[in-house]
Amino acid sequence: MYSAINSNGNSDRGQHWEAQLRKGCLEMAILASLWQSRLYGLEVLRALSEKSQLEIAEGTLYPILSRLKAQGLLQSEWVEAEAGHPRKYYWLTPAGRRRAREMAEAWNEFSTNLSALMQPILGVKQR
Amino acid sequence: MTNPVSISAEPLTDARVESYLAQLDSALRGLSTEEKQDILLEIRSHIADSVAAARDREAAVERVIRLLGDPQELAQRYKAERMLTRASRSFSPLLLLRTTWGWAKLGMKGMVALFVALFGYGVALALTITLILKPIMPSRVGVWWGHGDLNVGMVDHPERMHELLGQWYVPVIVVLAFGFAVGTTQALRWLIRSRAPRQIY
Repeated sequence: MYSAINSNGNSDRGQHWEAQLRKGCLEMAILASLWQSRLYGLEVLRALSEKSQLEIAEGTLYPILSRLKAQGLLQSEWVEAEAGHPRKYYWLTPAGRRRAREMAEAWNEFSTNLSALMQPILGVKQR
Repeated sequence: MTNPVSISAEPLTDARVESYLAQLDSALRGLSTEEKQDILLEIRSHIADSVAAARDREAAVERVIRLLGDPQELAQRYKAERMLTRASRSFSPLLLLRTTWGWAKLGMKGMVALFVALFGYGVALALTITLILKPIMPSRVGVWWGHGDLNVGMVDHPERMHELLGQWYVPVIVVLAFGFAVGTTQALRWLIRSRAPRQIY
């Protein structure tokens, strides 16, 4: 039964996230935005938009935050704010920091390799 | 984490916001009250923050509701995210079947997974049923060979066939049934982890 399933694609069970790297870009960006400090949802959106021009809809962000928390990569806490309503702050758990680091390394390798491939194309264009 | 229910929500008195949250509330049914409260409070807090800084409050409310998207869809994303996460860590055939059923509605991969689930658990269940029948009809239940046919379970005319396992029937079938159940569970967990749509962008 296993062989039949494995034959229909790459099958590295332990690191399935790597196969989904591109699809998981958003997940990576969200984890990265929390690397330095605790943020609430709107701050994550602003950080992504300001630092990487990554515009994502709030309707996409919140369910992902919820899942990352369920996966144990994030932790959260309600904090009463001056604004008069509480805000839900998120931060990386140790597992989340590990995952963010692994993703950053994989991403770095991936983009370095692709850049080498793209260089001739860009070189021609610049001339 | 502090209990979100105990914190008074911001008095954001906008009919559109209240209507949006009410729709989201009803669309989130199925989640626990605590999860629901948590989500609603977070979305409410997000709307309040988004609107607070804006000069044109009306337009800001309009905009944030549009960005949050259809409440049904938003609820669906929350549910899908949670269900898949839970299922990929679960060993419960019921939860795995339910999740795979939902996944099958989304496309081909899900249908393949559902086929694996139905086939694997189906075989395990059928084998288990023969184990229950064995003590009731010891002479009719077995692994039968005859006329070029291999039958596992009950046959109508045992006298025309040859039984292969004899007293080993119960231990062998127990191991087989268990193997199918565990194998299917592991296969589904793997399929859900590596193939299911983790995000709905």
